[in-house]
Parts: sequence; C-alpha cells; structure tokens
Amino acid sequence: MMPDEPISRERFAVLVERAGLKLTTEQFEELRQGYRLVERMARTVRRPRDRAAEPAHIFAQPTE
Amino acid sequence: MDPTLLTVAEASRQIAEGRLSPIALTEAYLDRIDALDGELHSYVLVLHDAARVAARELAANRSRGVLHGIPIGLKDIYKTRGIRTTAGSPRYLDHIPEEDAQSWAKLRDAGAILLGKQETHEFAIGGPDFTLPFPPARNPWNTAHYPAGSSSGSAVAVAAGLCGAAMGSDTGGSIRGPAAYNGIVGLKPTYGRVSRRGVFPLCYTLDHCGPLTRTIEDCAIMMQALAGYDPHDPASADAPVPDYRAALTKRLDGTRIGVIRHFHERDAVADFGDDSAPSAAYIAAFDNACRVLENLGARLVDLQLSPLIDYVDANRLIMLAEAFALHETDFRERPHLFGHHMFARIALGAFLSAADYVEAVRQRRELCLEFAGALENVDIAISANATAPAPRIESVSTYSTFERASYTGPYNLTGSPALSAPIGFENGLPLAFQITGKPFDEAGVMRIGYAFEQATEFHRQRPPIAASLPQHQ
Repeated sequence: MMPDEPISRERFAVLVERAGLKLTTEQFEELRQGYRLVERMARTVRRPRDRAAEPAHIFAQPTE
Repeated sequence: MDPTLLTVAEASRQIAEGRLSPIALTEAYLDRIDALDGELHSYVLVLHDAARVAARELAANRSRGVLHGIPIGLKDIYKTRGIRTTAGSPRYLDHIPEEDAQSWAKLRDAGAILLGKQETHEFAIGGPDFTLPFPPARNPWNTAHYPAGSSSGSAVAVAAGLCGAAMGSDTGGSIRGPAAYNGIVGLKPTYGRVSRRGVFPLCYTLDHCGPLTRTIEDCAIMMQALAGYDPHDPASADAPVPDYRAALTKRLDGTRIGVIRHFHERDAVADFGDDSAPSAAYIAAFDNACRVLENLGARLVDLQLSPLIDYVDANRLIMLAEAFALHETDFRERPHLFGHHMFARIALGAFLSAADYVEAVRQRRELCLEFAGALENVDIAISANATAPAPRIESVSTYSTFERASYTGPYNLTGSPALSAPIGFENGLPLAFQITGKPFDEAGVMRIGYAFEQATEFHRQRPPIAASLPQHQ
C-alpha cells in the first residue's frame, strides 16, 4: 500500500533540485503526490538479499 | 460483400484464389477510415495514395505469401522511412525517419500494405492526453470509454475494421491492455522474438513488439512474418521459428494448464486496495474460461507465485528508471515539448536511486527463476487481464494506471510470451484473459488461444461501428 502522507514539500524540493528539473507549481505538487508511488515501488523491491543474488542484467561474454 | 469483414486469413485465401483484389480490399479499408475515423481517432496519418500505389503493385505481381495484399496499420512509434513518425509527441511532430522499423520491413516484404500510422500514447506511456496534437483514440464498443494504451489506435483500428491487423508495442501491457478493452487478440511475444529495431524505445529491457488481430489464426500469420533473428537488435534471439499456424488445434487433450488465480482473487485488493477488486462479471467470465478449457480436454492446476505487487512494482520501477534516462536531457532542457501525462509519469523516474533500480533488477532475476520453476510441470499458464470493463475515458487520471493492479506487467518482467484473448462482456464492453508460456513457445500460447476461441463465440462479436458501410452491403 502507498504511504498515507506525501513527502514534505521541503524534502521533495531537494529531490527536484538534484534531478535538475524546473517545475511549475502545479507540476511540483502533482509529482509530490505521485512520489508516493515511487516510495511504494522502492519499498516493494528493497528487501534483504544474499550478496550472491545477482541482478538480471548480468551478461556472459560470447564464446564464439 | 464487404471485404473488411474478412479476417486476414479469409482475405488472404480470397486474394490467392483471385476472388479478391488487394486494390479492392485497400479501397474498402480507406473508405471505412474516411467514414468512421473522425469519431474514433485511431489514425494520426492515413496514407491514401501510398497504400493505393502499393496495392496496385502487389495486384500486378506474384504472391509473396499469406500477407500478400493485406492492409495493416502501425503504431506511430514504428519508424517508417520517408513517412512522418511522431511517437505521439510534439517533440517529434515533424520527424521524418530515414529508416524503416525492422518488423515493418519484414511485413512489407511479405506483401502487407501500410494504411497509415496509428494513434499512440505519447512515447508509449503518456495518455490518454487531451493536451497533445492528436486526440486520443476512442473505444469502438462505446466511444465514451477508454480503449486502453499505449497501442490504443492500433487496437481500435483492428476492432473497428479499419485495418486487417496492426502492430503495437508492450512494456507493461500496451498491446494486451488495448486488446482486452477492444475485444481482440494481442500478443506480446517472448523478449527477443520480434525485432525492436527502429521502434522508439520506452524501456530497453521491457519493450516488446507484437501484433494485434481479430483472431488467433491472424496472429499466427503475422507472427510467421515477424519472428526471427535480427543481428542489429541486441536483444534479438537466434531461436528457431516454428510453423505457427500448423500448431493450432481445436482440442487440448492432455494439455496441462497452470492457473494463476491469486493475482486477481487475492493480491489485487490485498496489494492495491478495493479499487482494484475484480468485478463479479469478470470473476464469472474467468471461471467460465477455465471450464471451457477443461471441456476441451485440458487439465488445470493452480499455480502459486509471489504476490502480484512484487512483479508489478519491479516492472514499473525498471520502466520509470530507464524511461527517465532516455528523456532526461529533454525533460531538463525542453519540458514544454511534452504532454502532461508523459511528463508527470516519466518524471517520477527522476526520484529513483541507482540502488532502487539495481534492487528491482535483482528482484527481476528472482521472479524470472520463480516463474520458470512454476511452469516446469505445466505446458501453459493463464491469468487475468484487466478485471473490469473499460472505464470512461475522462476518468483515466495521471497515475491511475500506476495506482491500480496490473496483470500484464509480470510477463514483461519475465520476458515470457503472453497473449490476450476475449472471454466475455460486461455492460457491452469486452473482457479478456491472458495465456502465457515458456520462452519462445508462442506456438503453444496461440494453440491454447485458438482452441478456446473456436469453442466460444466472442471473436465473432464486433462492435456495432464495425458493421458494413452502406456502399458495401
């Protein structure tokens, strides 16, 4: 489930600055609300894993 | 008789037998587009003259095969040399590619005729967006309703009889969602089965190209031309291409089918909330589909996987990260060139960390292995597609597709072949399920779909707007 409260405006402004995006007031507010989806997705995938659990984009060199 | 009522297979037979000319078939489709597309908005560019020239040339020459003289459409993210390709975006409003998408080149070489470029959500993600230069396509079953996306125009055109077949793309469901809402067949092939070369990317590791058709046999015909190795697509697989039509049978005796029920019966509400609850009509239609498959001789067993949200969120996170990386420079330097939905959705990728992405890709490997293990003791699996009929188009908000359960994304994550086929109706709008299988078993997936289709009548039902024009009655 999504977080009940959206990220604070102050914290989100830091993320927007870091991303290099110039947003209108409306865009800022819409993305701030949408950030809850990002938080949910990140929470879904961030779980304890053995160090040996490799990502799917590991590739093997061709042998021919 | 109105030749646009024929399936690709039927039209192909008549062309081969000399009973139907590619010229007459092309003119009939162009007539329908001119008469109906003002209301449906499935095309952004109709190639009247070029289609007629191609039809005349094909009519005068030896048959190239089953697709000889068959008019099709392309989602407007497929590059077409010398023909405007916009990706549905103001960013590329005047873009004229110098290359053809490889899959279009294969269809053209097989004798297909290009009727035009079809409406797409902006860059295959941003829609339905009424701020864009091209109006969103409308559902032909009820034009107040959403046809799904992002291959919206392609699905609408096939369902409404405005082309024989069409090409779409699918990163999280953009072929299968529109197929479901429009009551047609949509196939997302195995990752690497159909070349992605020359198609505007949304997400490199999740993008798939595939056909939208009225029937499974037509899908098999399209796949026969599309499948194959492309050394210029890094994801392309050098795997043998079987005879897809030869694999189609009407019985499924001895076939073992895994049913992934918990995705829609439990996980949708548990993970995404009450708004994602399947409708009672959908649950009944899915259960009926299972009974049909059993009556065809299949043996059904329940499969248990990780929760739906594990697949869906990994899929979406990867998509957002890769899509933002693709558009980052433009988002920073010329954001005014994008529509509202495109910007609002993909900009979320800016707030992911590299570690978020790596964790999603680690989860991807885990789930791919889990899914492969689940399929070891079955031949095919089935699961839900959209579990309620198409909503009204104005109700589709910026983030509604991210907030709700998605049943299509898991098979982009695993790269598995996945086909959407109709299973019924609710309030006059189509319902569908998905058939998925082992890598490169498009033949097996289509075999199940064909047997189900032939045992039911859903594929014969057309939206009222698909009826013959007066001049062809």
